[in-house]
Amino acid sequence: MQRFILSSLIIAIIAITGCKKDNYKPPTSILQGQVSYQGQPIGLRSNGVQLELWQHGFEVFSKIPVYIAQDGTFSASLFDGDYKLVLLRGNGPWINSADSMDVKVNGNTTVDVTVTPYFLIKDAAIGQSGTNVNASFTLQQVNTSLPLEAVRIYLGATTVVDQVNSVASVEKAAADIPNIGQPIQLTVNIPSSLSSKGYLFARIGVKTAGVAELLYTMPQKIELK
Amino acid sequence: MLLGITLLLAGACKKDWLERQSRTILLEEQAWNDPKQVVALLANFYDRLPVQTGLQDINNTGADGRIAQWRDMANFDDAMWSGQSNEDGRNNIAAYGFDNWRLWNYSLIRDINLALENMMLYGTKLSDAQKTQFSAELRFLRAYDYFELVKRMGGVPLITKQLIYDYSGNASALQFPRAKESEVYDFIASEMDAIKNELGNDGSVSRANRYTAMALKSRAMLYAGSLAKYNNLMAAPITTPGGEVGIPAGRANEYYTKSLEASKEIINSGVYTLYRANPDPGENFYEAITAKSGNREVIFVKDFLTPQKRHWFSYDNIVRGIREDNLGSSSISPSLNLVESYEYLDGTPGALKIRTADNSDFIYYDNPQDIFANKDARLYGTIVYPGANFKGLPVGIQAGVMAWNTATNSYTVVEGSDLNTTYTDGKLLTGSSGPHRSIQEVSNTGFYLRKYIDSRARTSTRGVQSDVWWVWFRLGEIYLNAAEAAFELGQTGEALTYINAIRDRAGFGPNSLTTLTTDRIRNERRAELAFEDHRLWDLKRWRIADRVWNGNVSNPNAMIYALYPYRVVRPGDAARNGKYVFVKMIAPRFRSPRFFQLGNYYSSIDQQVLNNNPKLVKNPFH
Repeated sequence: MQRFILSSLIIAIIAITGCKKDNYKPPTSILQGQVSYQGQPIGLRSNGVQLELWQHGFEVFSKIPVYIAQDGTFSASLFDGDYKLVLLRGNGPWINSADSMDVKVNGNTTVDVTVTPYFLIKDAAIGQSGTNVNASFTLQQVNTSLPLEAVRIYLGATTVVDQVNSVASVEKAAADIPNIGQPIQLTVNIPSSLSSKGYLFARIGVKTAGVAELLYTMPQKIELK
Repeated sequence: MLLGITLLLAGACKKDWLERQSRTILLEEQAWNDPKQVVALLANFYDRLPVQTGLQDINNTGADGRIAQWRDMANFDDAMWSGQSNEDGRNNIAAYGFDNWRLWNYSLIRDINLALENMMLYGTKLSDAQKTQFSAELRFLRAYDYFELVKRMGGVPLITKQLIYDYSGNASALQFPRAKESEVYDFIASEMDAIKNELGNDGSVSRANRYTAMALKSRAMLYAGSLAKYNNLMAAPITTPGGEVGIPAGRANEYYTKSLEASKEIINSGVYTLYRANPDPGENFYEAITAKSGNREVIFVKDFLTPQKRHWFSYDNIVRGIREDNLGSSSISPSLNLVESYEYLDGTPGALKIRTADNSDFIYYDNPQDIFANKDARLYGTIVYPGANFKGLPVGIQAGVMAWNTATNSYTVVEGSDLNTTYTDGKLLTGSSGPHRSIQEVSNTGFYLRKYIDSRARTSTRGVQSDVWWVWFRLGEIYLNAAEAAFELGQTGEALTYINAIRDRAGFGPNSLTTLTTDRIRNERRAELAFEDHRLWDLKRWRIADRVWNGNVSNPNAMIYALYPYRVVRPGDAARNGKYVFVKMIAPRFRSPRFFQLGNYYSSIDQQVLNNNPKLVKNPFH
């Protein structure tokens, strides 16, 4: 028994001390940036759109996914080194780019990713009107390679509002929009769960056919009267 | 003397001392010259055919290609998870992962290719007839696996012979690009046509015969036809430049025609008939899937046998109130969404009548089961609903009571904190089977599974378990395949014949439909084939999954609904007191709407596989 205790003690000591030495330190460098078009940040779904980071030269070759926040910013904790930054195809509401960006991470690094969206939402005005929320905006078609699928308005109780996180939404399909150049109106009824809170957050999104994610305006807080 | 003995011993041992045959390893010559050994090997390959749901819990896609995850039945819109709370993630899937439903089981393909070649090389004692039949069976298994691969991944490399590495340091001869999606479907069709007359196994449901081959062709060609048609109807079709994903629209009619021909070959053969042994249409539908004797409807099954090969599906999914073990039960809870997809027998849509037309009051029912009266009998055969029986026992589904409060002139909802509780009036509060909002292993939706649950005694115990078989193909599906293909080809009259035959068996009476729409056919498939591993693949090939499951909480198709029955306590109102009312709600344990993105139409290829073979292209959106 004594021998057993002694030997297990020795094993335990080895096990405890063994871990110490060869463990890696956690990554300390921060890579951060923003996805933008002509200097304007792109509004997205929270945790919806992904950037991929790849690093060559190691035995394990698999992507590091970096999710973009809904205001177009992203950040990742990394080891210093050379990375390739790739936009996941068909994922974000912009034109696919086959080129990867070389990113050299050395300490805290900032990188800006410029993309060309299919559509932009311009002159968005969202306001309360009785029991409804009215939105008015115009679409700007930046690239004509893919058609419009729909425009939608989303209402939510928190600043995180999008296709997945919303309490109410209304859609206008492309077929109901005869002229993209003209201002578009959307009206959505305020659900009781929001009207009792006294405020809500609203966002307009534009869906391009054949692209998974929508492009959104930044969430707007509306105090209910 | 001593020398003599030593010599004798040494001499005696000499001959085969070092050349004995192993008792534990079979040599190629032994394996391929004994029909019993070949059949044993075939049994291994049959057992390894993948299925997304199935009745088992196997996930071994890497090592030998097996997959069967019955729990995945709770991941879509026909059901949710009500079992152990550590699997509650199935009710809270923020979005389906791009790696969901991934399969890359070339381990099975390789073993089959190896078997095909080695049998020809070593099988000198097998007769030519035996070799032909075994080869045909192996080719059926290989084609079936390619169908499982193509419906998940799109076009995959078509490997039909064993690949041998030459140790040259250069593996590029072993790296094959992906075939076109259409080429894989064409391969399946041509293989089935080539082997259908060589398969033998007439009358077998667990080994492939010519009708099994035609059933696979019927389903595969239907998938190919709808991919060709509906993918190209999307605003932006999902394709890759090399055709690994995406079939030209012009081929739709050709595929539908092939599917219809294959279906008709089965239907017109007279070998199979729709199961109608039980005069009660609901019980009959349950037996059509589970009855093993006298069942001429099933075409191909994965059979189980007590006591050698059994599964836990009944233990995990039996109705809570009549479970025979002290744990388990209730895991897969059918949704109200599915229940309401079963039409009324007069052909009207299946939404249940819960409130009066002006929404001012509940509708009061004498018995809980009365709300399900005059429904498609397949509802009874698929789902245990409040007031129904299972194993001849009442199941006790009641959420609580609605007690009338005279002070406020409204009902107070009272629900028990436990099952089998009694209300202050001495009568039942919450039933032995719930539903309950939070207790695990109690239905959260108010419904339980009947299909595939064993009705025999003690089969829901861990000691005995169940040997209900898994149905790969049955005539009911072939009728629906034929109806859909005929309808797409413009032969509506013929399509109506097939669909009315199915509906007649479900209790609608003969010729219940005179017109047909795409939505009707789709709903018919949902009703008939629920929990038989069709829903996901059907929504994918119709290219509507991203709209039905769009991740939006205000979309009723993406949410899972529950129906809670309450007993009314309203003394002094004889018209209402003691009656039953129903409340429809989003299931309390359901958190996150189903969210299927464009990138889910084809599963992603594992990065390790892509790294090993630079000729592979990724699927769209990945």
